[in-house]
Amino acid sequence: MVRVLAALALPVLVPTIITLLIWSLPGDPASLICPAESCGSTEVLSARWNLDQGPQGFLSAWLGDAVQGDLGRSWRLQQGVQVNELIGDALPNTLILLALALIPLTIGTLRAALGPLPRGFGPVIQVLGLVPALVLALVAAAVVELRWGSASFGDAASWARLIAGALVLGLADGALSGAVGGTRALFEAEARQRYVGIALLRGEGVLGNTLPNVAPALAGQVRGRVLHLLSGAVIVEAILRIDGVGDLLWGGTLLQDFGVVLASATIFALISSALLLLQAMAEVLIALVVRRSPDLGEGAGA
Amino acid sequence: MKGRLLRWPYAAVALLAILALGWAAATAPVHLPAPEVDFAYAGPLELPPFGADHRGRPLLDYARQGAWVVALPAMVAGLLVMFMAVGGGLLACLGGGWARSAVQIASEVVGSLPRMVVILVVALLVPRDDRSLLPMAIAWALLAAPGAMDEAASVAERLGGTRFVEALRAHGFSASRIFGWHVVALNLRPVVVRQGAEVMMQVVFLEIALSYLSVVEDQPSFTHPDSMMSWADLLYQGYRSIVLDVPTTHVLALGLALISLVAVVSLSIGAAARAR
Repeated sequence: MVRVLAALALPVLVPTIITLLIWSLPGDPASLICPAESCGSTEVLSARWNLDQGPQGFLSAWLGDAVQGDLGRSWRLQQGVQVNELIGDALPNTLILLALALIPLTIGTLRAALGPLPRGFGPVIQVLGLVPALVLALVAAAVVELRWGSASFGDAASWARLIAGALVLGLADGALSGAVGGTRALFEAEARQRYVGIALLRGEGVLGNTLPNVAPALAGQVRGRVLHLLSGAVIVEAILRIDGVGDLLWGGTLLQDFGVVLASATIFALISSALLLLQAMAEVLIALVVRRSPDLGEGAGA
Repeated sequence: MKGRLLRWPYAAVALLAILALGWAAATAPVHLPAPEVDFAYAGPLELPPFGADHRGRPLLDYARQGAWVVALPAMVAGLLVMFMAVGGGLLACLGGGWARSAVQIASEVVGSLPRMVVILVVALLVPRDDRSLLPMAIAWALLAAPGAMDEAASVAERLGGTRFVEALRAHGFSASRIFGWHVVALNLRPVVVRQGAEVMMQVVFLEIALSYLSVVEDQPSFTHPDSMMSWADLLYQGYRSIVLDVPTTHVLALGLALISLVAVVSLSIGAAARAR
């Protein structure tokens, strides 16, 4: 219930906070788009950018437009350009980056769930996990730039950046070690429960018994990992010059482009909401499956 | 006894490194010295202990200024998380079931957005004339705190929670001894200290990342005034040695060494506080 409420609130809460932030800064918000010393009076500018009716008027207009698919225009980063265009170019790259980064994490999670890991694997991924995303991203950027050149953005170079970025996201800041360690800890703790011992005596497998019970916690861990990747994507995209939503958010923040920040932060909020809803759905489905089990057969009640 | 002996080396390493970083932060110059072209790109042997940058300014001053930028905010963030984790553990011992639920709900809500998005929104709040890492460090600590509180509460519950406290009360122990010594110092310590050390490390890495991204774009950093240099400046100058063949490999080495030192400090603190 909390998750569903949070999922519904986030896409409204995030733009609201950012809007309040715009008005909390000193000076007229329109002067962020064009300073008064360059543009003179900002009245016309304020009216044109919906800034003349205060935070409430601006927010309701922005949300109304956003619901219809119009995320407004960039204030400073690419002044006047539709943010939809920028997001439209950036979002697929971020989603591909995330999908690729999830590959090592999924393999690690499955491997940890299915049995003991190869000797020496744990320490290696733990050491790799200590390296901050920035350092691994710099190594990846150096490899790409030395191979393709800094100005190269052809198909091959772009894919190389995406794959290198995904590897960085998948390994750095304890992403893989966290996925493997978290999954192992969950399954090991559950395997120590008395019912698992009884199931083993009945000739059943461990995984079949533990999985339904750890699945909700596992779903929570997976959501946490994806959020971790999204967080790291801001740094990785900016360093590797991947045209993604994270890079857009960083550029907007750096230049105080609230048009871009509003839109890109809302996109992140929408992704986070989708993850929350997916987790809630997974929990409901697991609860339904667990309630239907076990199938004790005809003579069970005798 | 054996466990205590094993923890000593970790504690010694952590203490030495913290003292070194603390000294660096305390003695950081407000401005870098004037360039000395004769020392441009000087290595550690020509200008001890670390060499010089492309304009002949000693890298020691970069290291000290970078330590100044991160020292206080990282410490505040670490202490804040430790304080809140202790609170989470104590609440579990006092039987605050509602508090545990509240922490879990807060954890869900706070943790539902990517942390970097929240940090960048906080960065927008930092006044341009008074840039500091502190607001972002506090925000990071607040984002990390529910997780730390939850983990500390789990430890307290494994300990027995309210039953543990009642048992000690039955032995005639005072409240300060039960909560201060038996619960916090003996049982919550490993988790609380490790969480605090991890958050300190994360705040340092956050500063380096934010400053690096600003340096690349040739923009002022959110985390420190223009007169100060971050360790990210070392990485930026050093990175050019790889892709542009500029003789700044020693700068890169220093930047990476400082990052490694922070990771070692964090790990050592966690290991030193580990339970017997």
